[in-house]
Amino acid sequence: MFSVSPEIYSVLSLASRWLFAFFALMLLLFALAWHHSDRKERRDRFRNLPGAGTVGELVVLSGSDELPPDTWFPVPREGVLGSLRSCDLVVPCPGVRSQHLDFSWQDGTGLLIRPRIGCEVLVDGIPVSRHGTYADAPLLHGSLLQVGSAVLRLQLFAALSHTSRPFAPQAPVGSPVESGAWTPPVQDPNAAVQPWQIPPDQGYAPAPPPLSPPAAEPLPPAQPPLNRPQAPQRVKRADRWKEDWSE
Amino acid sequence: MNRQKSSARFRFTAASMLLACLIFLVPALRDGNPTLFLLAALLPCVMFLCDTVVARMFSLDRMITALILWLCAAGIAAYAPSDPDATLAQALRCGSALIALTAGGIMIRSLSPSLLTSACTAFLGLLLLAGKLLSPAMSLPLTEAALALLLIAFAALLSRQGPVSALVLGAAALVLLLVRGEMTEAVLWSLAVLLLVYAADGRAVVVLPALAVVLLLFFGAFTLLPVQGFPQNPSSFSVLASAGAVGADPLPEGFAWPDSVSIFPLLAGSYGLLLSGMTALLFLPLTLRGTSVAASARTRFHAVLAMGVSLQLALRALAALISVFGFLPLSGLRLPFLTSSLPDLCAQGFIAGLLCGISGRNDADLAEDAHLAMLAK
Repeated sequence: MFSVSPEIYSVLSLASRWLFAFFALMLLLFALAWHHSDRKERRDRFRNLPGAGTVGELVVLSGSDELPPDTWFPVPREGVLGSLRSCDLVVPCPGVRSQHLDFSWQDGTGLLIRPRIGCEVLVDGIPVSRHGTYADAPLLHGSLLQVGSAVLRLQLFAALSHTSRPFAPQAPVGSPVESGAWTPPVQDPNAAVQPWQIPPDQGYAPAPPPLSPPAAEPLPPAQPPLNRPQAPQRVKRADRWKEDWSE
Repeated sequence: MNRQKSSARFRFTAASMLLACLIFLVPALRDGNPTLFLLAALLPCVMFLCDTVVARMFSLDRMITALILWLCAAGIAAYAPSDPDATLAQALRCGSALIALTAGGIMIRSLSPSLLTSACTAFLGLLLLAGKLLSPAMSLPLTEAALALLLIAFAALLSRQGPVSALVLGAAALVLLLVRGEMTEAVLWSLAVLLLVYAADGRAVVVLPALAVVLLLFFGAFTLLPVQGFPQNPSSFSVLASAGAVGADPLPEGFAWPDSVSIFPLLAGSYGLLLSGMTALLFLPLTLRGTSVAASARTRFHAVLAMGVSLQLALRALAALISVFGFLPLSGLRLPFLTSSLPDLCAQGFIAGLLCGISGRNDADLAEDAHLAMLAK
């Protein structure tokens, strides 16, 4: 194969070693610049999608002095709820342990709740145990979660609220439902605001959304039963998307 | 007319390919070695293919893939001036590491943090660690492969079952490492475990007892087991400094270690402290990228696993650099991907593949969110 004389090679070798060192320095700088530009790009994408990675929000119905009612948290797909500041959802209320429960979103099922050892959790008034039945009582859209003295309501994003279980509003334990003062809402509460509908500069501000109970809508007049079954009306694909993804 | 700025990715890829070509071409011109000519032509093509086609096909993180490709190329090039025949063997070993990287990237997509995953990986990892104790004749270095499996089990247990069971597994692995006499590996493993527990849990009631258990195990190992200490390293800063900034053509005295599997001293001797130092510093962006991947992971399992992989690579690189310059009397440590041990290379490629796969999954999740947002608009 092709080779050069030793004199030329010695000059070439020395020059190339300095060139290699220069290239190695460039590689280091380019790698750092690459990482920096990727981080910037990712930050911009998250700014445009402030709800990315979350499934909805938990609205505080009753809390404490540190956690006033109508405060709301974005709920990630997975995490820990507790009073510790390192938790994903920080609920500083009496009766809430430092790490009270684990939660994880399961598509088609809902938000699964798994209490830590010795922690009490109620989902729609039903106690959830650590072993066994926690997967049977997932949090759905409008479900109430009670941890310690805090009562939180889950509002899922509209795209994720199509679960198999129907919404059945429950009164929180200890609420005035027993005395008859509390009446369950007639219809489902509104789904959470879609993350992409929040202006980019607003993000998740702690400003509470209005949570007034929805007014009862008049029922439509009863229709006489039809004698022959009607063929299902075909819905355009664009309309289906509109139903699924819009409020 | 607007001039299009080239991206940092394009510049890094182009510079690494050019350097990989030149670094083999120059030694090849000395005596016309056909192997080096072949590598000078083939290696940039492989780097380009892996960084574009393979990374795109298997949704691997391009930056991590590109960095690992360059580290592998530097490891192959270290043999080029002094032992051209060894370059081909090292290239084949690096090819195996790239296959392991791809396998890791594919595997992490379907890996869930279930109890079965934890049990299987923990059993395999502990078995590999205990293998040398059960049959002392076994000389295959499988420690890194075992630690990679144990890291998966540890992340699954920490994210699903809580810190106690994860700490029990970490302590069991630490005991086996101490009984085997691998003090440096034991120190690195315990550091990684403690940092992961601190990052994932953060409670003093968990971290402080874990620290106490680790200290107790080390104290017990030093008192009960025969004192082995840390093996001495043959290299020192003075030996490495004799190579100079750009290296020496005939290797200086002290660089020829036929039994050593660490390539970094050879790289420093062949190309000098500048190139080897810059190559070692590439672990900084690799670690930064790993922590960034961990921070943007959607699930706790992926976050803990990505942070664990980043910690393993960073701590190992730091300890290897400290030991290779002779600042601490440690030995047996190699810079990741700059080793001639095939099991170690494959294990490192596998855990880097896990990191690449997690990054690809993060990107897919974000793209899905953007797609939903676009449909909603």
